[in-house]
Amino acid sequence: MTARAKAPGWFLRRVVHGAPGWITLLTYLFMLLPFAVLITFAFNAGKSTVVWTGFSFRWFEKVVSNGNILDAMQVSLIVAVASAAVSTAIGATAAVAITRRSFPGRDVLGAALAAPLVLPEIVLAVALLMFMSFAGMTLGYTTLIIGHVLVSIPFATLIVRAAASSLDPRLEDAAADLGANEWQTFTMVTLPQLIPAIFTAFILSATLSFDNLVMSTFTSGVGTTTLPLRIYSMLKLGITPEINALGALMVLANVTILLLVMGRYLPLMLKTNRR
Amino acid sequence: MRRERREQLQTGLMLAPSLLLLGLFILLPLCVVFAYSFALRDPYGAVLPGFTFDNYKELVQGVYLRVLANSVSLAAWTTALCLLLGYPVAYFIAFKAGRAAPVLLLLLLIPFWVNFLIRISAWVVLLGRGGLINQGLVASGLIDEPIGMLGTVGATLVGMVYAFLPMAVFPIYAALTPIDRRLMEAGADLGAGPAETFARVTLPLSLPGVLAAALFVFVPSMGVFAIPVLLGGGKDIILGNLIVQLFLEFRNVPVGAAVSILLLGFSGLGILLYMRALRRVEAMK
Repeated sequence: MTARAKAPGWFLRRVVHGAPGWITLLTYLFMLLPFAVLITFAFNAGKSTVVWTGFSFRWFEKVVSNGNILDAMQVSLIVAVASAAVSTAIGATAAVAITRRSFPGRDVLGAALAAPLVLPEIVLAVALLMFMSFAGMTLGYTTLIIGHVLVSIPFATLIVRAAASSLDPRLEDAAADLGANEWQTFTMVTLPQLIPAIFTAFILSATLSFDNLVMSTFTSGVGTTTLPLRIYSMLKLGITPEINALGALMVLANVTILLLVMGRYLPLMLKTNRR
Repeated sequence: MRRERREQLQTGLMLAPSLLLLGLFILLPLCVVFAYSFALRDPYGAVLPGFTFDNYKELVQGVYLRVLANSVSLAAWTTALCLLLGYPVAYFIAFKAGRAAPVLLLLLLIPFWVNFLIRISAWVVLLGRGGLINQGLVASGLIDEPIGMLGTVGATLVGMVYAFLPMAVFPIYAALTPIDRRLMEAGADLGAGPAETFARVTLPLSLPGVLAAALFVFVPSMGVFAIPVLLGGGKDIILGNLIVQLFLEFRNVPVGAAVSILLLGFSGLGILLYMRALRRVEAMK
């Protein structure tokens, strides 16, 4: 075979070999470009989200003085914290029972708690709406919180389950050998090891709730418009940099929470690992 | 004996909240939807007691059939594109990225820090007539005048892939990482080229992840309603839009219930196909 005959094959192999890298690069551009443009135009002086006319904070001022947005944010925060607390409590209890106890139908319950992952959320939402009106309940905080718990429960359960099943049972045996009763073993040995997972479950549940549109569309009532619902109605009217500024503020809030959590939490995690 | 009873009681107490939640707020409501999908209604939309198949019969009419076809084709395209893009990305992160792998995974999650609707709004701007993409295309001389991309199926598809791609990358990545590299090396040692090693070792071993990714993209993408409105201009509506309209605008509860049951059936079919394919893949090993 001559070198010339080999060349196309070599070239093709090179392309195929490099393909995952190129596709990854383009995919990340695709995923991150809108994000970058969004944040940039939050600082635009003009009313356009396309043409840059100068730097200004005016849209941020507009967001923080927009009563509708602030009200919606308050509703979203209340629902996020409440639904995450309920979801994590129920999910963690079920996860511990599933990994630590044997009872008939254990596998079925495990699968059932993960079911909302593969059931269309909109159907769960419609079902809840119909059930609530059938039961004569008015839509509001209660219905929103129940709906959001349904959305986050699979994640809360799966996260705590994964942590609980990887615990070393010998630690619990050792505690029992050392004279700890069942309750002491649970609160002093099992629970502390599960705290990081429970915390992760809470944060993820709260995030899912805060971002939720589908379930909220059907379960929110008068006066309980959540932030995503407010954004959706704003978007249908047209896009101004106010939306971008709101997005930029969300990034800021997330980074702050992450840093606060990391600062308090990372040393704790390292300590438990060392032990 | 007493200890055993106490343990049973404890287990029962631990399970009660989740059983209550599942039973009262998922199972029972789904039964209500099922029952209503056979209900009669008066000309003003109020639900009447009775039993009829008319709500389902209405679904096989032209308008609804088109919505159904739209939904299936949009979900299928979204799934195909997410897998086509997601697989190489997951492959790169799992085998080639080395130390950058955690960073790349994190980068994929950063967009989630901003509300999903706001991110979609960025696409509305980017794809608009004066948007960055049209500007770039005109400046590069590829086109003479800005083209109308918003309000097309293509724009909807861009938003769908953008929204669901991470759902495809993570399960595939999770299936690729535990693959024993020695198996891949053994393939090469036995004289297989990179393509053959990929086709006969890597791909089959990662298939469960691919199947999970397909399920996680296909099922939710049928029930989406905001993306087709914001990017597709609300022209090619899908099952999600139909359910919103029937329940919240037309107040046609029985037909809405029938559409919901249909969507539930599609998801059930997806899960069934997933489990069958998974069993076949496992049997192959």
